[in-house]
Amino acid sequence: MPFSTVFDQLFTVWAAIAGGVFVLVTGIVLVAVLINRAKRRRKLPFRASENKPVELGYVVVLAGIVAALFYGSYQANSALNHGKGLAAETTTPAARIDVTAYRWCWDFAYQSAPVTVTGTCTTNDFPTVVVPAGQPVEFNLTSRDVVHAFWLPDFAAKRDAYPDHVNTLRMVFPEEGRWRGRCSEYCGTHHVTMDFYVRAVSPAEYQQYLDSGGAAV
Amino acid sequence: MTTTAGRSTPTEPRPGVKAGSVVGWLASTDHKRIGLLTVGTSLVLLLVAGGLAMAMRAQLTQPQLEVLSNDLYNQFFTMHGSMMIYMVMTPFAIGIGLYLVPLQIGAPNVAAPRTTMLSYWLYLTGAVVMLSGFSADSGAADHGWYAYPPLASSRYTPGQGVNLWIIGVALSSLGMLLMAGTVLWTVLLKRARGMAMLRMPVFSWSIVATNLMVIGAFPTLLVAVGILAGGRVYPDMFTENIWNIGYQHLFWFFGHPVVYVMFFPFVGAVAEVLATFAGRRFFGYKFLVLSLLLFAALSMSVWGHHMFTTGQAASNYYSLTSIMLVIPAGIEYFDMLATVVGGRLRFTTPMLFALAFLPQFLIGGLTGIMVGTPALDYQMQDSYFLVAHWHYTLAAGSLFALFAGVYFWFPKASGRMLREGLGKAHFWLWVAGTNLTFLPMFWLGLNGMPRRIPTYLPRDGFTTENLIATIGAGLLAVGGLVFIANVVVALRRPHQAPPDPWQAHTLEWATSSPPPTFNFSERYPIPPIRSYAPLLDLREQEQSSRAEAG
Repeated sequence: MPFSTVFDQLFTVWAAIAGGVFVLVTGIVLVAVLINRAKRRRKLPFRASENKPVELGYVVVLAGIVAALFYGSYQANSALNHGKGLAAETTTPAARIDVTAYRWCWDFAYQSAPVTVTGTCTTNDFPTVVVPAGQPVEFNLTSRDVVHAFWLPDFAAKRDAYPDHVNTLRMVFPEEGRWRGRCSEYCGTHHVTMDFYVRAVSPAEYQQYLDSGGAAV
Repeated sequence: MTTTAGRSTPTEPRPGVKAGSVVGWLASTDHKRIGLLTVGTSLVLLLVAGGLAMAMRAQLTQPQLEVLSNDLYNQFFTMHGSMMIYMVMTPFAIGIGLYLVPLQIGAPNVAAPRTTMLSYWLYLTGAVVMLSGFSADSGAADHGWYAYPPLASSRYTPGQGVNLWIIGVALSSLGMLLMAGTVLWTVLLKRARGMAMLRMPVFSWSIVATNLMVIGAFPTLLVAVGILAGGRVYPDMFTENIWNIGYQHLFWFFGHPVVYVMFFPFVGAVAEVLATFAGRRFFGYKFLVLSLLLFAALSMSVWGHHMFTTGQAASNYYSLTSIMLVIPAGIEYFDMLATVVGGRLRFTTPMLFALAFLPQFLIGGLTGIMVGTPALDYQMQDSYFLVAHWHYTLAAGSLFALFAGVYFWFPKASGRMLREGLGKAHFWLWVAGTNLTFLPMFWLGLNGMPRRIPTYLPRDGFTTENLIATIGAGLLAVGGLVFIANVVVALRRPHQAPPDPWQAHTLEWATSSPPPTFNFSERYPIPPIRSYAPLLDLREQEQSSRAEAG
């Protein structure tokens, strides 16, 4: 499943649970603040300082909540192949792209054609990586110097780029369009401008792009 | 032996040294003085770290401002985080334990007082060394508070700032390790007669759990910064992945327990404040003690949730252990809420801070479940969502609880009352300021703002939230000044605080304010200890005997 679909579904559920708990706890505090003021009460509402059956029962409830939350977390993480995105066994990527992060920009190299994209990540010179829309794309992320992170905020996808290590990120860009990507692991002075763009085009245009050696499409 | 009967209580611990002089303080072996030095130093450094945060908020008020250069901004966020974590919250947490635990368990002093004194010197030296980075040509360290290699190696961050940072962290962490050890030793071996482990106050138990984590986790930090030190000399070692990812594992093995080091003592303080101003025994004592120990144990197994996006950590395992924290945290909330629900509430300044802690920290905790869920963390990691979550736990949570504790114990430590009016002004400014500052950051993160960026563009759509956040930070600054004024006004007055101005429950309130050198004396003896709230026992006994007589 796409990162953003999984994110949206799970975030909605998690936010609803969090909202419910927050309203419940804050409500209890506010009601207690109103009705338990020392001016209004001459005696304690209740004197017990423990209640083992209630407390034990509550721990069991908490354990059930933990089980449910972890089940949701596990299912979602499995759907995302532990952060790698689409499972490799089920999908052959239509595009394999080696991504090299460095201070402070990105290189993109296509495995199936001698096409590379780069830039300086200064004013209006950000690299744009072209991908086929609707088809699986594989990014192989590495770094030439320090740790960076490849983040596509619009797709809820993020993966770190390390020197001497390759991380894989597989995803589908369902529609044609252009989106901004950013470095999200702090990497020094110009971390803030270490942006790139992903442009998804039709598979035919993508082929044309590769055949022309990376000319603009 | 732990009783003080018959022991003289000299006002000058050493002949020839005036107790009130600088030497009298810096060479003191009294746990109260070392504790106050630690706590006081950390509060002064809180001003420094807060000032750095104000400068950052000024820079981010509007897009493309040039209040700070990129490099200066990077130094500021690094030093803000490093000061807050290594030099403010952690030392305050351990230092307030040093001050209070011997009093709460009826001990005359801390075990190994000279080692404890050394630990303060190590901390102070470490803080000064780290801050001195600002005077280096290259400026202070600017690699972030967790100093990932290879960025922190001499190849990518040359200059003395990082070296001074490493030395500062190593010195102060060694100090904290020693201090945690001596306080734990005190708890185990120097309790007063009748003070069984399960009669220790909740706060003292929170310190036991804290210090256990310090002893389990801080040696790993020393190893991690040792690796960084190696990388300052041989930067080539960080061309190998194993050192980079290995550093991250070691660092977070320390880094997550330390989050709870910066949380437990403050929960303990909130528990004492809630019970005192609810006028009742804390509800669920045994479950709370168990939950603290479970929390501390689990904290050693969750570190990889900082590394979900690395592709080099078993994300499901760390998600499970992280979500399991719901159990101890849930018990703590249940017990604190039951104490409030079953109490007669008095709304003093410490009580207000403690009550606000409950919903505010909860936001940090609930969003913690989100970032502990890998599928959500792939979006939230290293974004402003994380910054918001983190500051809800530490600022809206721990810092509020810290001030609950400061307002609560200030009369005990200084012998003077703080003004309630100024305290409440501080409180309301901080409630507004904290939420205005940190709530918008959740939206900034979800809208794609990465953390640690010195500026943004108008078209990014981050402007409104950042403006609100900066306004909130301004309120926090004003609230901080109100607090300082309150302390200054109070300290200029003569001693006037009674031993127990709040009708509190624990032993420190049985002795004078401030307590004598060896804590209890013939005039202020240790009362009989039959539960975790000995002073409440006494009051209830008086009431029932009065009722019988009447």
